[in-house]
Amino acid sequence: MGNLINPLSLPFNPKKPTIMHVDLNSCFASVEQQANPKLRGKPVAVAAYDSPRGCIIAPSIEAKEKGVTVGMRVRDGKMLCPNLIVLTPDPPKYRNIHIRLRKVLETYTDHITPKSIDEFVLDLEGYPSQKRGMRVVAKEIKERVRKEIGEWLRISIGIGPNRFLAKTAAGLHKPDGLDVIDNTNVEEIYKSLPLMKLCGIKANNIARLNQQNIFTTMDFYQAPIWKLKAAFASVVGYYWYVRLHGREVDDVEFERGSFGNSYALPDTRSTPEEISPILMKLVEKASFRMRTHGYRAKGVHVSVLYRSRMHWHHGTTVPEHIFDSRDVYKIAFRTLLKSPYREPVANIAVSLFSLEKSLYSQEHLFTDMGKKEKLTQAVDAVNQKWGNFVITPARMMGLSDKVIDRVAFGNIKELEDSIIMHNE
Amino acid sequence: MSKHMIQKIHAPISVAFVYNHLKQEVHPVKICWEGRQYTVTTIGLHHTVRDGRTLFHIFSVETASLFFKLALNTESLHWSVEEIADGEPN
Repeated sequence: MGNLINPLSLPFNPKKPTIMHVDLNSCFASVEQQANPKLRGKPVAVAAYDSPRGCIIAPSIEAKEKGVTVGMRVRDGKMLCPNLIVLTPDPPKYRNIHIRLRKVLETYTDHITPKSIDEFVLDLEGYPSQKRGMRVVAKEIKERVRKEIGEWLRISIGIGPNRFLAKTAAGLHKPDGLDVIDNTNVEEIYKSLPLMKLCGIKANNIARLNQQNIFTTMDFYQAPIWKLKAAFASVVGYYWYVRLHGREVDDVEFERGSFGNSYALPDTRSTPEEISPILMKLVEKASFRMRTHGYRAKGVHVSVLYRSRMHWHHGTTVPEHIFDSRDVYKIAFRTLLKSPYREPVANIAVSLFSLEKSLYSQEHLFTDMGKKEKLTQAVDAVNQKWGNFVITPARMMGLSDKVIDRVAFGNIKELEDSIIMHNE
Repeated sequence: MSKHMIQKIHAPISVAFVYNHLKQEVHPVKICWEGRQYTVTTIGLHHTVRDGRTLFHIFSVETASLFFKLALNTESLHWSVEEIADGEPN
């Protein structure tokens, strides 16, 4: 984050904008329309499940025009748009497009950060491409995406002096937009943007800002630092002040904190015994990914959302680092037993936290860790060679297709997996 | 096709495949499925996926009447059809 800037009289950043935010519009649905030309120009929605209660995760541009939105149930989407075509996700397709888009963008700069499966941030400062002009480069990227990846894919590009304004610019004219926010037009843009449209500002933040008589984005921009500090009651107010003035506060890369998997149950399971096979598979998936990245964990967290909308979660920390799925499962199951509720489960998640690098290195006095390491490594090697879950614990029997492959929203860490695998 | 307009299946299929050394392009050109021949008019997407160590090339192709998702197993060089759709609401 660098040294804190004196905020008392901070003018808007006068430097030429060099940050570019690239956003693949309606990513999953557009990729499906790219793959199947018979879907182009039609309302399409990718949903977690294609059953009436399935949650829509990506409507196409045509479906959005009919009022279909992210988070809507399939049956509600069909009520708004009776000819809606509902598809289930095909993550390898989306990862492949992500990798190909990344390869195109990498020809312009080394400073490239994937923010999610469909968003990248580029810093062109000092690169030859910057001298050609940011708008020229943006237009070229759009053209190359159509020619080299898929003619149906549209991207919105925003250019700004910092990541926040580049992302804001990318959202001004979707789909296929190209906008620049800099010191010449920033006030005009702020005047046209409601607070709710700012990335990172939600209802609770608006309530905080309203308490300080901040009702518009221009009020927010012109507010003195003390007012924002009072509104957010933390350093967050300072970050917003700097961010709105075109300075960078968001170029921080966080270390991986956990590995987790979750599953929405389509059937009715209530007791820990009924849930245990799903818990085992979640543990297997999360532990396998953790080991593949060379980590081990000291904590296991279980989170359960019941159909009654009751939420229960609990984390357990153990004295020794663990890596074997069987050990993780024991802790996860014991943690699950602590839940006081025995009612139908809607969603269950397991995550491993308190991570430490350098797998398989701990010395242990009482158990034969050498054997355990070798067994785990051998099972992982077989699963890597022949496909995930060729060898599985007996507890997972009958779960062949449960806990299917998904693309996490906004999770860029998982994308590293696909890039590693793609390059192998 | 049944009343469902998108069918996920996994079945062997006959595919005529062309490699053009001038364009450095490879793609299916004809499909024989359930006794009928289909000519590929558009390659929508070509991507790869691994199942364990085995690499599959996936071709999403359009014919005049149907869409096919075809998979080439690069170890056995066998083709399978994974999905058939007509692009109508389901």
